[in-house]
Amino acid sequence: MSDRQRLRVGIVGCGQIADAHLQEIAKLDIAHVAAVCDVHRDLAVQAAARFHVPGVFDNVDEMLDASRLDVVHVATPAQTHHDLAVHLLERGCHVYIEKPVAIDAPEVESILSTAHRTNRLVCVGHDQLFDPVWLDCRDRVAAGEIGEVRHVESVLGYPLSGQFGALVVSDPNHWVRRLPGGLFHNVISHPLYRITDLMPGAEPAVDAHWFSRGEATFPTELRAHLRGDAVTGALTFDTGIEPQRITRVYGTAGCLEVDFDGQTIQRRRQARLPGAFAKLETPWRQWREAGANLRRNLARFLKSDIHYFAGMGRLFDEFYRAVLHGEPAPIPGEEIVRVTRVMDAIFDQCRGSAERLPRPSIRPESRPSLAHSV
Amino acid sequence: MQAVVTGATGFLGKRLVQSLCREGVSVRCVVRRSSNVGGLRDFLGDDWRKVDVARTELTDFSACVDALSGADVVYHAAAGLTGSTSTLFLNTVIPTRVLMDAALEVEVRRFVLISSLGVYGTASLPSGSVLDESSPVEPEPHLRDPYTYSKVVQEQAAWEAWRERRLPLVVVRPGVIFGLERGVLSGRVGVQVGGRLIAMGGGQTLPYTFVENCADAIALAGMEPGLEGEVFNVIDDDPPTAARLLKMLRRAGRRPRTVRVPGALIGGFSGLYEWYHRYSRGQLPGVITRYRSASMWKKLRFTNEKARRQLRWRPEVAFDEAFRRSLQGPDGRQ
Repeated sequence: MSDRQRLRVGIVGCGQIADAHLQEIAKLDIAHVAAVCDVHRDLAVQAAARFHVPGVFDNVDEMLDASRLDVVHVATPAQTHHDLAVHLLERGCHVYIEKPVAIDAPEVESILSTAHRTNRLVCVGHDQLFDPVWLDCRDRVAAGEIGEVRHVESVLGYPLSGQFGALVVSDPNHWVRRLPGGLFHNVISHPLYRITDLMPGAEPAVDAHWFSRGEATFPTELRAHLRGDAVTGALTFDTGIEPQRITRVYGTAGCLEVDFDGQTIQRRRQARLPGAFAKLETPWRQWREAGANLRRNLARFLKSDIHYFAGMGRLFDEFYRAVLHGEPAPIPGEEIVRVTRVMDAIFDQCRGSAERLPRPSIRPESRPSLAHSV
Repeated sequence: MQAVVTGATGFLGKRLVQSLCREGVSVRCVVRRSSNVGGLRDFLGDDWRKVDVARTELTDFSACVDALSGADVVYHAAAGLTGSTSTLFLNTVIPTRVLMDAALEVEVRRFVLISSLGVYGTASLPSGSVLDESSPVEPEPHLRDPYTYSKVVQEQAAWEAWRERRLPLVVVRPGVIFGLERGVLSGRVGVQVGGRLIAMGGGQTLPYTFVENCADAIALAGMEPGLEGEVFNVIDDDPPTAARLLKMLRRAGRRPRTVRVPGALIGGFSGLYEWYHRYSRGQLPGVITRYRSASMWKKLRFTNEKARRQLRWRPEVAFDEAFRRSLQGPDGRQ
């Protein structure tokens, strides 16, 4: 594809996640990054230098005026997403927004209605829905391998000693700490949409609470139960366990355990053999499953197909193709609103069960500057 | 003299505070609002009574102005050490710009920036060259590791403030700082992969400085008159080669699981890794490149002559003793 045909992409916010965006876009023939922008010009400069981006800006409007962008990625703190996205849509850009898409459902609805009015597309960073291992799991569920889905369980292990976690802990004024859902607001959309993806119907009922572990002065653990029409869900966010991203899908005929970090799917089901033989059949089946996972990952490794942000790259590709061909965005607006409403319900309940922790102010004057980096 | 030290609770910072206290300097420690100063208090012992603590974020200009009020000298030791490039820029470059603005606002007499010996552009130097303060600074910092990149840009910002706004700047470039909490192995010896050390070469001299020696040199950089605009490399006398260091570790009963890449093969190995990183579109991270290898593991000679002459610095703890002290205690394990 020639440069004239490729979409011109801009990135606002050059923090850690912007690196992933730049890496994944660089793998696509369909688009290229023409400009980066951050209120801290140093951050925009480093991103441009490392990823060979020609345009460097510290002001969004100057970037838009100078760079003729088709798509802009918003990778700034969540408090800025709504205003930035609406502004970009009004200026004629299609917009990709990192998770969480906005502070709450009314903000999301406002963004989507602006997109509708301006005839632009909006995509949200629910990229794990496009991860190869999740797509494989969905295919197996659709093929009836585990029967009817009845329950989905998502676990996110998030030790606060990690790079980003340590930053959030050390700074009480960090933008993440000022979100209505605090630490959880920035990350639970991933495990949550892995549940709602297999939970059709209206918004599920929510039962949630959060609490602190150790000496933390803010909530660090979250547990949420969801009850949909036919499927229930359980979300566990825990800072006291190893880093992990695991989702278990339970059906009427077995369970699939999806390990995003290991890129494996383990099928579990009741043994067919009787009595003590079942104790041999179960590990035998697990051994064969492990062998199949090893063969699959080895083949992918040899094809250079194992990438942490593979889902993000695939989502970008589908979004850009939708932009080029005038098709709907890969993640429907109704689903974005549904996930956000569930998050709102979770945080409302958690705050209700911990009244000593008031909802932080999200008035405009308390928001971080536009184009701040994540 | 009133000194302000940023990063005072850190590995180097607390030794710097101690060194200044011993020189009779009044010290204000600037720490994050969330920092626990218990470790610093325990470390300083009786000297704790001589310091005061200002809690502020270095991204808050007016709070920095308050913290620096009345200061003669600022020692800027706070910096990010690990993380992505953007994280390091946020923790190193951005706060430095704010702190320099505050230092200019309150008109401090001197601003001592603790930089790094890594900022030199050693890839272009012939093997066997002497690296001193006149050696060129890295011209392609974005090709280096994230830490080095952030330190080069931090220095660029400081020199810009020196040239254009008359910041009374002195830059100290320590080599690899080692000591009890950090042990003695570093990236200059090799790369840690899955519990193994891939030792790169062995004949290269390690530009090491023991944390207490280094702190003394930095303290002097704020006290000796007439040094504005000067740079000082800080390396101890008689630094070891990588091979000698590993031998000393083995003799001390520490046996890091090591795979050695001979010096002659480093270029080829790095080129192969770099090729695969590109071929696989990043399936393995691009942590080893020919350029980084040429910058990191080249055989160079180092001198501390300028620091000895102009700062009148003498590294008090010899390497063998510093090595012994660095292995003591539970944190000395390799």
